[in-house]
Amino acid sequence: MLSQLDRKLVRDLRRLKGQATAVTLVMACGLAMLIMARSLISSLETTLAAYYQTNNFAELFVPLKRAPNYLGARLAEIPGVATVQTGIAVQVTLDLPGLDEPASGMVRSLPDHGEPELNRLFLRRGQWLSAGSRGEVLVGEAFAVANQLQPDDTLAMLLNGRRQTFRIVGIVLSPEYVFESRPGTALPDNRTYGIFWMPYREVATAWNLYGAFNSVALTLEPDAYEPPVVAAVDNLLRPYGGFGAYGRKDHPSHIRVTDEIRVLRVLSIGFPIVFLTVAAFMTNSVLTRLLSLQREQIAILKAFGYTNRQIVTHYLKFAAVIVVGGTVLGTVGGIALGNVLVEMYTLFFRFPDLSFRLDRHAVIVALVVGLGAVLAGVFSAVRRAAKLPPAEAMRPEPPASYRPSLLERQGLGRFFSTSFRIAVRNIERRPVQAMFTVAGLALATALLILPNTFKAGIAEVLDFQWDVVQRQDMNLGLVEPSGANIAYELERLPGVLHAEPARTAAVRIHFNGRSRQIGLRSLEPGSQHSRAIDSHGREITPPPDGLIVSAKLAEVFGAKLGDELVIEALEGRRSQQSVRIVALAADFTGIAAYMDRRSINRFLGEGDVISGASITLDHSRRAEFLRALKGIPRVSWVAIKETMRASFRETTARSMGLIQTIYLTFAVIVAFGVIYNNARISLAERARELATLRVIGMTQREVGAIIVIELVILSIIALPAGLLMGTALSAGIIQSVNTETVRIPLIFTPYTYTFAIVVVIIASSASALVVLRQLKKLDLIGTLKAPE
Amino acid sequence: MSSSEPPAPSPSTHPRNLFRVRGLTKHYGEGAAQVRALAGVDLDLAAGELVVLLGPSGSGKTTLLNQLGGLDLPTSGELSYRDLDLTRASEAELTLYRRESVGFIFQFYNLIPSLTARENVALITEIASDPFSPEVALEMVGLGSRMDHFPAQLSGGEQQRVAIARAIAKRPDVLLCDEPTGALDVRTGIVVLEAIERVNRELGTLTVVITHNAVMADMADRVIYFMDGNVHHQRRNPTRAAPSTLEW
Repeated sequence: MLSQLDRKLVRDLRRLKGQATAVTLVMACGLAMLIMARSLISSLETTLAAYYQTNNFAELFVPLKRAPNYLGARLAEIPGVATVQTGIAVQVTLDLPGLDEPASGMVRSLPDHGEPELNRLFLRRGQWLSAGSRGEVLVGEAFAVANQLQPDDTLAMLLNGRRQTFRIVGIVLSPEYVFESRPGTALPDNRTYGIFWMPYREVATAWNLYGAFNSVALTLEPDAYEPPVVAAVDNLLRPYGGFGAYGRKDHPSHIRVTDEIRVLRVLSIGFPIVFLTVAAFMTNSVLTRLLSLQREQIAILKAFGYTNRQIVTHYLKFAAVIVVGGTVLGTVGGIALGNVLVEMYTLFFRFPDLSFRLDRHAVIVALVVGLGAVLAGVFSAVRRAAKLPPAEAMRPEPPASYRPSLLERQGLGRFFSTSFRIAVRNIERRPVQAMFTVAGLALATALLILPNTFKAGIAEVLDFQWDVVQRQDMNLGLVEPSGANIAYELERLPGVLHAEPARTAAVRIHFNGRSRQIGLRSLEPGSQHSRAIDSHGREITPPPDGLIVSAKLAEVFGAKLGDELVIEALEGRRSQQSVRIVALAADFTGIAAYMDRRSINRFLGEGDVISGASITLDHSRRAEFLRALKGIPRVSWVAIKETMRASFRETTARSMGLIQTIYLTFAVIVAFGVIYNNARISLAERARELATLRVIGMTQREVGAIIVIELVILSIIALPAGLLMGTALSAGIIQSVNTETVRIPLIFTPYTYTFAIVVVIIASSASALVVLRQLKKLDLIGTLKAPE
Repeated sequence: MSSSEPPAPSPSTHPRNLFRVRGLTKHYGEGAAQVRALAGVDLDLAAGELVVLLGPSGSGKTTLLNQLGGLDLPTSGELSYRDLDLTRASEAELTLYRRESVGFIFQFYNLIPSLTARENVALITEIASDPFSPEVALEMVGLGSRMDHFPAQLSGGEQQRVAIARAIAKRPDVLLCDEPTGALDVRTGIVVLEAIERVNRELGTLTVVITHNAVMADMADRVIYFMDGNVHHQRRNPTRAAPSTLEW
């Protein structure tokens, strides 16, 4: 049974349904973001943890040159080590029908009998390798999907230079490749890079590694401390070409998933705060209006003996209904958004089963946070109204007092039309309401800046990487470092315009107790291909001695120009050397160190060798070249710029399109809602004034103009503020993804700003038009009667 | 219809006639709940007249004023202002009619709180075709010294005089006043009536004043008594009493 007060509540809400809906929607945006992000965090974390546990994802990983299998037992004896899984990982080139460029990938070995102890696979389709099989392969799902490969299809690979055909028996997932990508790339290119699993015997035979391994995965005892284990493992494997052990926090796939969770955490806090603040204010303005309208009703209720507490509760319920509505809508929206985002995640992340699971705690948190925000926003207004003595409350509110606006007090008044004066003075009389309308519109504008800035930043990264830094058409890697003359051999292939030698070496760089394991890359003086660029966009010429490092690496190390870093080779004779930083390279992806090629070879104690090459092509002879290249056995991998670029573009277009849609929707809701709320309140509070203007001969259009001028003034303040806010917000968020993997530059284009302004103007105008239709319903005769 | 006076000259032939009202009815609501606010009113109003409408609450005075002012459409009957048929006028024609020809004065002033006295008047002079300046209009109601005050800074009588200045600044042919002194004390009320009377006398504006206060009838050229939605009777005063002589 509803009490009479609750009945009144229901009717008040029905009367104010437009405004209540506007507030509910804005609140729902914030809560949807909160619920979506918290649920995704919990979905990702639970799925990841369960996947890692079920499939025994390792905790330490060590690549090495070659070690005899018996060393596995020695590794297992190291204190703190729980399980050891040795195996082989090698690079292969693929020959895919219908793909004229060579794809490449990594082949991992599986024990000939039984499942591996660690990093067990999940069979998505097809079958496991049969015991003692030959010519069978398991294919990672991302590559299989991108190339439409099915069990029983065949796949041609160049195994250590020999072309062999394999039958795909199963499509699999691995906890090591949740993010399946070419090492060192920011976005996956699943069409031209894949992961494959074969029996140990087959891989070992092909690479002459039988009885040996070149990759180890380990788990630790539950209470083991990682660093001493790492040191012991590195010590043991150093003579066998160990490249240094790293833990999960440096594991490329794991980093990508945890980075995503980190971004979600930022979203789950930042956005809801802003949306809820706006929603709280909107509730405040709707309720304040209701309270002043119901002054007398409150007085009568009090005169009849209702307590202040009952009255406060009654009006707070009004706010509570809005919050509950917002939470319900937010939950629905959060689930919908979450499902869409999970869909997007499957573009990047491969889990046996990643589904969106609503985090019930998140809904409760949303409800509590929403209630808190709104009640904080309205409590004092409600309390003040309830505390008014009945006799005073029954008198109508004193007439609003105005004064000339600030601009007019500066003597600018004579330039203003009367409508303009009304608008300006109204804004000044209600500065807080005006401020929050401005804040809401500014928020909407700001929301629209972020996705386009991201987009422009990513485009800049790609352009910089591929037009400025790497001007070649393709890079290729050799199975093993070879004599530099192979570059000349490549240059003679059909269609090659120019080939340059490249030398990359795995090194660990130390400075002041910090260290990073990276690929030291060669630069050629006068190169037409790869080069390093400083922060002023100038090319850095590599001196014969000295090191060029990414500015980001210097920042991570706290090092500056002229400091000496220690480089430790992780291959060959494992030499060490101190090198002075001679220049800082401005780059956006990864952290890099460059040296002159001859200096690298000198440092490694090798002759004039190269580990790969870069090539510029005559595009009309591209197909011919690629056919010829497939026949060169020493080439282990190929990365074609255009292919990577197209693949990046497609992936970013899909994910950015989605993000942009979400932000656009939110921005439109906020702009529409804030303007709707403001205009409805103006109209309601000033109905008498506006009707009077109609009675004395103003047209509907002229009266509408008074409200519109006010909104236009607020927008003129809000839009630049929003652009500033959006710039700061984008800077803040984009800086927060300033990591060693990728640094997105801040690129603000006129398009970004124009887009935001146009969208907000359209949404606000549409909203204002909806409200201004109410002007038709103005009660002209009512104005002749007593004021409300 | 009864009358204690000889019938007024035939309205259709009167050269200075502004309003012609014939069989005017206005019903609100439907069926059993229907209210007949006007029940077939016949009336003519001439230029320059000062007419006082008297009658109890609900007798239809305000409804008639609303029809005259182009704020509402009648249910049936004829209502014309000069050559304009107010029963068939479009929304735009009615707006133009109010803008150019009618001045309204309300019981509760209805000033725009965010505008000063001068600006409230200027609001009209900006859109009318041949207005007085706001200053002249305010001088006429004796508010020359309070032009830059906001409504909240003015007394009730002063606010009502600003409303009068606002109504007359466009040089209207018709001034419609609904209980102009209803919210004022006697002394202030008289000052307001003096302003209305002066406008009528000096500008020749047809002035229709609704009141509950029978004393005010003495300042009129003609007094029309309303009852149950119709004219009960009318009388003409041989001489108009000056507002300052009225007492109530």
